[in-house]
Amino acid sequence: MKQISFKVNGRQYDLLVNSHEMLSTVLRERIGLTGTKIGCEQGSCGACTVLVNNEAVLSCITPALRCENADIITIEALAKDGELHRLQKKFVEKGAIQCGFCTPGMVMTAISLTPTLDLNNGKESLIHQIKEGISGNLCRCTGYKKVIDAVAEYVLETNTDPDSIIINPSDETKSVGVSRPYIEAEKKVRGAADYANDIVMKNTLHCKFLRSIYPHAKIESIDTTEALKLEGVHYIATGKELPITFGILTVSQDETAMAVDKVRYVGEIVAAVAADTEDIASEACKLIKVNYIPIKEYLSIDDSINDIGDNERIHNQGKFNNNVHKKAELRFGDQQQGLQEADITTKMSFEFLGINHGFTEPHAATAYWDENGLTITTATQVPHYLHRALAKVMEVPLNRVRVIKPYLGGGFGGKSDPFPHEMIVSHIARKTGRPVSVRLTREEVFLTNHGRHPSKMTVEMGITKEGVFKVLDADIAIDGGAYGSFGVVTSYYNGVLLQAPYKLNNFGFRTYRVYTNKPQCGAMRGHGAVNSRFAVESMIDDLANTINIDPCELRLMNFLDSNTQTVGQYRITSNGSREALLKVMEESDWKNRIGKLKEGHGLGVACGFFISGSALPIIWNELPQSVVHLKLDFDGRVLITSGSSDIGQGSDTMLAIIVAEVLGIGMDKIFVLAADTLLTPVDFGSYSSRVTFMAGNAAKDAALKLKQEIVDSIVKLKGINAEELNFTNNRIFTNDKQLDLSWIEAVDILMVKRGAVSVSGKYISPKLGGDFKGAGAGLSPSYTFGACIVEVKVDTETGQVKVIDVWGAHDCGKALNPMAVEGQLEGSWHMGVGQAISEQMKYYKGLLLNNNFLDYKIPTALDTPDIHAHIIETIDPEGPFGAKEAGEGAIHPVIPAIANAVYNAVGVRITKLPISAEDVLTQIKENKGI
Amino acid sequence: MIAEQSYIKAKTIEQAIKEAYLTQGSFRFLAGGTDVIVNKFQGNETSQLLIDLTGIDALKHVVVIESQIEIGSLVKLDDLKKHKSIADNFPALVDAAHAVASPVIRKTATIGGNILCDNRCIYYNQTEWWRKAAGYCFKCNGDICIATGGKNNCLAKFVSDTATVLISMNACIEVVDNDKTSVIPIETIYTGDGIHPNNLDRTSLITAIIIPINKGDKTIFKKLRQRESIDFGSLMTAVTLRNNGSLKIVLGAVDAKPIIIEAKANDKLDEVIAEAVKKPKTINNDIFSRKYRKEMIGVYLKRSFQELGLM
Repeated sequence: MKQISFKVNGRQYDLLVNSHEMLSTVLRERIGLTGTKIGCEQGSCGACTVLVNNEAVLSCITPALRCENADIITIEALAKDGELHRLQKKFVEKGAIQCGFCTPGMVMTAISLTPTLDLNNGKESLIHQIKEGISGNLCRCTGYKKVIDAVAEYVLETNTDPDSIIINPSDETKSVGVSRPYIEAEKKVRGAADYANDIVMKNTLHCKFLRSIYPHAKIESIDTTEALKLEGVHYIATGKELPITFGILTVSQDETAMAVDKVRYVGEIVAAVAADTEDIASEACKLIKVNYIPIKEYLSIDDSINDIGDNERIHNQGKFNNNVHKKAELRFGDQQQGLQEADITTKMSFEFLGINHGFTEPHAATAYWDENGLTITTATQVPHYLHRALAKVMEVPLNRVRVIKPYLGGGFGGKSDPFPHEMIVSHIARKTGRPVSVRLTREEVFLTNHGRHPSKMTVEMGITKEGVFKVLDADIAIDGGAYGSFGVVTSYYNGVLLQAPYKLNNFGFRTYRVYTNKPQCGAMRGHGAVNSRFAVESMIDDLANTINIDPCELRLMNFLDSNTQTVGQYRITSNGSREALLKVMEESDWKNRIGKLKEGHGLGVACGFFISGSALPIIWNELPQSVVHLKLDFDGRVLITSGSSDIGQGSDTMLAIIVAEVLGIGMDKIFVLAADTLLTPVDFGSYSSRVTFMAGNAAKDAALKLKQEIVDSIVKLKGINAEELNFTNNRIFTNDKQLDLSWIEAVDILMVKRGAVSVSGKYISPKLGGDFKGAGAGLSPSYTFGACIVEVKVDTETGQVKVIDVWGAHDCGKALNPMAVEGQLEGSWHMGVGQAISEQMKYYKGLLLNNNFLDYKIPTALDTPDIHAHIIETIDPEGPFGAKEAGEGAIHPVIPAIANAVYNAVGVRITKLPISAEDVLTQIKENKGI
Repeated sequence: MIAEQSYIKAKTIEQAIKEAYLTQGSFRFLAGGTDVIVNKFQGNETSQLLIDLTGIDALKHVVVIESQIEIGSLVKLDDLKKHKSIADNFPALVDAAHAVASPVIRKTATIGGNILCDNRCIYYNQTEWWRKAAGYCFKCNGDICIATGGKNNCLAKFVSDTATVLISMNACIEVVDNDKTSVIPIETIYTGDGIHPNNLDRTSLITAIIIPINKGDKTIFKKLRQRESIDFGSLMTAVTLRNNGSLKIVLGAVDAKPIIIEAKANDKLDEVIAEAVKKPKTINNDIFSRKYRKEMIGVYLKRSFQELGLM
């Protein structure tokens, strides 16, 4: 330990710190300034940026002792006298904040950047300088666009169009369709929003895990004797203590909290140590001796799909002697007939490497037990399913488990399973009687994975020479890794979600999911259909080329209509495919530019389609999919309670907008309490792009009921006809103003001799779909549609692909908060660029090679193209105010559009993701006959 | 128990070297970046004593002395461009400094630290747990090179962007140890051994970089990487064309040491390129394949020659 003196946010500190302690941990854990985030612990993400002597510094790799006598400024000190710094205000106004985890670091970097910007060379130069300046700060939500806009407006001292943003919502009561910052944006930009690892409880033990170093091995023995002798160690748990299996799907309860008899991937948890500090727990892990007997491992689809002879399977399930987890096949129409009717058929094979969500906030959780049973605060997208899984594994009644989701730093599907670490800290907390917390390192986040499945597929399509699609047949295999996760759903989605957005009378697929000895795969943005969509859109591009039709025209000819049904009996209601494609054609000037670009440049197009909430629950029951409670009390405030999980996508704000709109009151009268299973009614959580549609509808239902209560009380007291009452602008009035009540006057009338009024709203999906086996897969009360056109530049001597522009349009039904919808679209397209160009999970003997943010290549601001987002509104008949999803579907078209643009540029057809410069170059040379 | 650790922030060169000599355990000099800390997190750097150099003001100078510029080893990468003498005379050095890591890191990372940046390999720059699972390689006291399966030597790649350029410009470094000061060409410190990539005594410090100003010399720097920020190089090339028509080509990230090819502007440049492609011992220890990095040497050099008006 060593003494250090420095100033933090103007206050002098004299502290004893460990000699090799980093500034980030001193700020967070000694001083309690948790606005500074830790995302990667290697200086590759920028979330930990603070100012030291007025220069931006990465505090996670800066030794605290280096800062002796320094003047340190953290995000918490930017606001003065309660007023946000003007740059912070810009971040809020522009919607530059989604999950908010990268925000403090991004703001600190930008604060230090702005004085150095040269404003004299025009806007384009300025934007480039900003991109360059923030290119060490990774953001996974925004695609950087709104961040760049915020910084640019700040330095140019320009003001946002006052009509487009409501900074102070209390001035207005028009809610739906108005762009507004998230209700918690200011808290996030101040660094005051607490994420799972920011919440500190007294007397907490810290947990670290010992992880397997073998991909497939029997555990012969575990000796914890030496580890238990280490001072400060309080408990060591091993797999046999927690033998009950769990999993997100009822049909895939195949995982235990720790390996019990054998390990199934390198990185699987074998033992867990709870100690006074993380360092002690880590040291203890090294002292645990595990005897393994390695057995044959299976690392690829090909290994796992075949008979394995006398070797041991990964799981003892299924009746065949292989590692196939799920096989599904569905056929509609007559594919043979379709092939005969087609003039041209084509068959292509594709391969996709796995990718990871790359959310910036590593998993973290704290659990404790008291008279109410278990309480866990954890970074989860699905409090409800975790609630059920914890009750099962802990063997307690459901009413003894409370799951709280604090602010969450991005999910994208990666926090939508119950996780081993959540089970383990809950278990050790019970055993020790103390709170137990855990935070995963970035490496552990990658090992936990649940990312997009590596996939291989062969797809056949047939088309008439006039351009009518006649048949589509897909044969798909996906690599699930060691456990089930969402894999059964993923398997189906790979196939079923190909039955739109085009008319297809003859359609079928066969899909396999195999277990392999690698970290498990699961749901990731655009779940299941991203890779197969890529294949189909690439083939459509190829067919358009063959029959010499513009690929946009070919798609326009084949789109499904609105209010129709697909061949697999999906009910299509609103459908903005056509509008979306026409919009991006217009915006990109497609007709005038296609085929006329300079050498190496290319334009590509693709379309997409996705569910707006799964119509069926994951665990079959008769509960509504969403319930929202409203409580109106004497102060005029409406409290929304909802189990839905805001993961940075803005769902809390969405609920407030809907309730405010129905009641005609300002957002300042709305208070949202969400995602706490003790206090909030059940909502199934944030997956399958369901929250706006389902929780939004439940909120609307509840708000209408509350409105009815108010109407009834006024009618009863004043004898006025209910139909004459208007709810607008914080007033309830008749057209002739005979009655004209303020909101609080109306509330007083309702409360007389009654007090606070609570109502409950719900959403239950209508009965949908066919009665065949597998009919439930992909059923949704509504679907979304979209299109992207992309311009790329291919360096013909290096094969490197640079994405220059993305013009995208997405039919979200109705944008309840257009700025938030844009943010979702921009973020989706950014993420798609990553999968297309740079992201991959690369393995060496089952060991993930690039398990950090230096080697896993999330696009930086400099790698992200200019994104032009367009919202298409089709007013869905069943969505709340016509709204549908916007968080996932948009990612589908962008990836194949990039690949099709590469084809347009240099004649190279991409059949493998990510696009490899080396492969492109080889193809270019082959095409040239070199 | 956990080993006692200590940290000293030296104020002078002498103090830093003295502490290095005095230490009973292992030590490591720490400049601004710091990759050392990342290596420490990953268990590849286990020194008990860190001697922080960033407080030594005597190493932060930039001076023009007759026909050379002397840059203190602790001058920050981001500050190089702010010195007119550097920006005017050595724009390629500014380019190379700008290609290092990310903007915030460049505000603390120093030119001396970059020159001594440890060699890297995708099988080595991993956590202790990872390396145990993979089987330890040469560079962490194992007995095999995972990248090649070989038993002979470690070819973890040399990755310094600035050194690549500095060597092509015939820069020297001033090295100070307890009892001596010497000025040596930068390239002479690189050994080609991925485990011990430089031959400086552990107690010695680079105090300055000395670059000759040869009016009319022109240098082109290029870097291959997957992203336009953050990433280490998968290939760096620097080509300097002298007034006298001589060429000095330096390749980085394709061998355990910088690869130098001397030529003349009026040589057959295709042959020079062919030699450059052939010379480095490149292995598959990077996100880009060995084959592709080799091929890109040719493309990058051709482009550099074109920019120099030679092709």
